[in-house]
Amino acid sequence: MLTSPGLSKKTETNIKLPLSFILFGLGAFVLSQFIFFIHSDALTNGIFRLPELLMGAHFLLLGWIVMVIMGAMYQLVPVAFLTPIWSEKLGFIQLFITGFGIIIFSLLLGMNLNLAVYGAIFVIVGILLFLFQMLMTLRSQQQKNIMTLFVSTALVCFLITIVLGFILAWTIAFGATLNYTATLQSHILLGVAGWFTLLIFGFSYKMVPMFSLSHGFLMKWAKLAFIFYTLGLLGLILSFWFKLSILLPISWVILWFGFTFFALDIKEIIMKRMKRKLDRPFTFSLLAIGFGWIIHSLAAILSIFSINNQGLWSWLIFLYIICWIMFSILGYLYKIVPFLWWTYKYSSKVGKSNVPLLKDLINEKLGTVIFVLFTIGIIGLSISGLLNASYGVQLFQGLMLTTSILYGLSIVNVLRK
Amino acid sequence: MNLFEQVKEALYEVIDPELGINIVDLGLIYNIEVTEESDVVVNMTLTTPGCPLHDSIVGGVESAIYFIDGVNKVDVKLVWQPAWTPDHMSDKAKKMLMY
Repeated sequence: MLTSPGLSKKTETNIKLPLSFILFGLGAFVLSQFIFFIHSDALTNGIFRLPELLMGAHFLLLGWIVMVIMGAMYQLVPVAFLTPIWSEKLGFIQLFITGFGIIIFSLLLGMNLNLAVYGAIFVIVGILLFLFQMLMTLRSQQQKNIMTLFVSTALVCFLITIVLGFILAWTIAFGATLNYTATLQSHILLGVAGWFTLLIFGFSYKMVPMFSLSHGFLMKWAKLAFIFYTLGLLGLILSFWFKLSILLPISWVILWFGFTFFALDIKEIIMKRMKRKLDRPFTFSLLAIGFGWIIHSLAAILSIFSINNQGLWSWLIFLYIICWIMFSILGYLYKIVPFLWWTYKYSSKVGKSNVPLLKDLINEKLGTVIFVLFTIGIIGLSISGLLNASYGVQLFQGLMLTTSILYGLSIVNVLRK
Repeated sequence: MNLFEQVKEALYEVIDPELGINIVDLGLIYNIEVTEESDVVVNMTLTTPGCPLHDSIVGGVESAIYFIDGVNKVDVKLVWQPAWTPDHMSDKAKKMLMY
């Protein structure tokens, strides 16, 4: 028998670190939904660049999604990459700076756009510290794999995204001359598709087999998924900067292939699972992959037929963020938070006394209701938005707000068990 | 009941909290050795390297064995060869995963 010494060292992180990020994220999530609710008129008219919506969008993207991903990475990287976090102390410093920066930056975006650059400085410092932390942590990984490639590339995309974001904030404040539109398009693309999507791809290759107890799958499309998706991103960036319109539909189709290859691998993993009945929140994360595939298909079709309606594309980006990225995270968080709490409270009691199972810590039935409500909310919001029906947008955004509060409470409730 | 049997029985009490199945039925225990000095050596694996429950399950095995009267030292060795496959599971575990 072979024992791998590197594989048997302690990998658990102090749960206060990931949990603090996640709780901050939940607060930002509810706040973003509240901002969208009180500015639902702007949502109806597709004016996504209104300062108040920019504030909501950055509370959603930075405050909720980025902070939750950072927290999840502090927990997942040590266990998935079999290497401890380089410095937990740095993690707490980074939490404080990033959290403070996100609050200031998002508020300034909504209240005084010209000063937003000063908030952005804190965000950038916080994120650079996070990237440095991850670089030092991943460097010590003994055996690199395809997941390392996805996660490392996602981190590079994240770095470029924040640099571009800073350039945008600088331009607004001081009016430097540069290709503003191409910078903004690259910032959005690398932020949502580069950073978030590649990261979800990478971690899904670890988490989907784990949560479904799958065995004997080949992951034969993983390399192609990586190559196609990164090539698609590169093609789109080139088309933004050099006005190569022919590259647009080609790149969207390449991205579609990349996403499809990933979806094929996940389908195989699920087909070869041992656990027949999957947990419902986890099923919701899988459903998000279906939504993601539909959105990639729509983007490819719109691009092939040169449909450049800005309102339609804005809604597509919105749906990409909500239905693919956010729904994936909502589902996975229902697994991650019970695990964190269980590890903190019950891990040391295993083998000594009866301990609850992970699923005993979360109300799965309530979770199902919440996930159904989110789905109804986003479908209603999309239809109302496309029809310019302001009452519909207000109603369904109200539903999203209420459901986000319920979701937050259901997660916090885990910490009482 | 001799010490070997007591150890084996104790390991049935270590439950994988994600699956709700004990680690013996899951086929995670490869070998148990009890020396004349009452030292216990366990060779075990996990369903996948990088399992988030790594520390909890290994710690749980140690605790469960130390709980037995007369045990001297416990050494839990986590091994990855041969790799775990579903064939290692008992029929009972397979049945539990169906529902």
